[in-house]
Amino acid sequence: MTTVMLVDDSATMLMSLKSILTKAGYAVETAAHGKEALDKLGKGVKPNLIISDVNMPQMDGITFAREARKSPGMRFTPILMLTTESEQSKRAEAKSAGATGWLVKPVGPDQLLGVIKQVLPGA
Amino acid sequence: MPSLLRRLSLAPDQPEEQGVRGDVVAGALAPIPAYCEVIDGHVRDVIELTGEAAHAIIQQMVKVDSLAEVMTSDVSQLAGTLSRTEQELSQVSSSNDQLVGRLISYFLYRDHQIRALVDQMRELNQHVTQIEQVSRATNILALNAMIEAVRAGEAGEGFSVVADEVRKLAHRSSEAAQGIGSSIADLTAKLDAVLSDDTQFDRAQEFPANDEETAMTRRLGGIANAQREMSEMVSGILRDTIEAARQVQSSSDSLVTETSGAVGHVQFQDISRQMLEHVADAVADVRRQSESVAGYARGEVSAEEVQERAIDVDDLRAKHVMARQRFTHAAQTGEDAQGADEPLIELF
Repeated sequence: MTTVMLVDDSATMLMSLKSILTKAGYAVETAAHGKEALDKLGKGVKPNLIISDVNMPQMDGITFAREARKSPGMRFTPILMLTTESEQSKRAEAKSAGATGWLVKPVGPDQLLGVIKQVLPGA
Repeated sequence: MPSLLRRLSLAPDQPEEQGVRGDVVAGALAPIPAYCEVIDGHVRDVIELTGEAAHAIIQQMVKVDSLAEVMTSDVSQLAGTLSRTEQELSQVSSSNDQLVGRLISYFLYRDHQIRALVDQMRELNQHVTQIEQVSRATNILALNAMIEAVRAGEAGEGFSVVADEVRKLAHRSSEAAQGIGSSIADLTAKLDAVLSDDTQFDRAQEFPANDEETAMTRRLGGIANAQREMSEMVSGILRDTIEAARQVQSSSDSLVTETSGAVGHVQFQDISRQMLEHVADAVADVRRQSESVAGYARGEVSAEEVQERAIDVDDLRAKHVMARQRFTHAAQTGEDAQGADEPLIELF
């Protein structure tokens, strides 16, 4: 089963996204910030896709993306940033940190699942 | 204490006696920090309340969603069961029709066999008639023999003729008796067979036409029609129920889709939370500015410090990371909105 890791400090966002993804048949792992997500990766969680917020306590999404790329087996795992921010400078920063794409909140279920199909064609 | 006007040199052309008094300005600015605190408190309340509400909404949505899914699954199962029942009923009905048809054939077949036996019984009657005729003829011959006996002695040859005729009659009687015996044996065997061996019907190659009407076939036809009508009625009820189940399933599917959409819309809370946090930050900036100016009015802060700490609407714009915030900012300041063409979804 394809596993998606959701990283967001908003419990509401996590619950909303988890509901959409589980209904679509994905297994879901959640983390409240970049550091917790990184810890999970370190403990052997191997998601097929990561969807991360940008502004979070302890470790922001862009730093997390940069650090996650260093984790074993995570070099080519798609990392999507899902954020309220839309600035180009932040996007460029995320891109250079290793992010695969940038999604501005709010994202509808169909849009989200469409993007996932694009970055995980076989899933 | 020098007046604020003089110290700030903000309006050097104004007469000194009309200048602004620093203590008044400081007094007027004094409540602003507390005011800002209250606003900040209210904003945080809104964030907390909307956060709790959104969380409760999403929890209920997820519950509704899962109930709708269970309902869809249950209704789908029910529709499947009803559909299978309808098919089975149709098969049973068709099988009953065949059974009734076969029963009618069977009864007609037996009817024909019994009629054939009755015909043979009639043949027996012919033999009986024949024996009666022979008997009558024998009587006449006997009478003739008596007459000839009277004349015996004169014409003895007459007896021999009569004896010959009597012999022939006896022969015919014998044949008739054999015919009767044979017919009775045949009839007995056939009746035995008809009564004890049903497999003749199964082995038979030809059957009477089923449209032949007898009291039995009429009754069987009535039973078959009643059974067919009942079966059609039950099938109709099943079809209506299946249709209703499909409609419920369709509504349930729509409910699942709508709920999923609603679950997605709850993201508004995360967006509004961040917007409100920016408002709270801006209120804090205003508070710091008021404290700085009040400090200056009281002579505690230098003009340079005030100018260094001064808030700037351009700084506020820089903090606006959302396109919506930038549009609102531009609308209020009369500037051109930037970032209108930034895609909402971008894959690198």
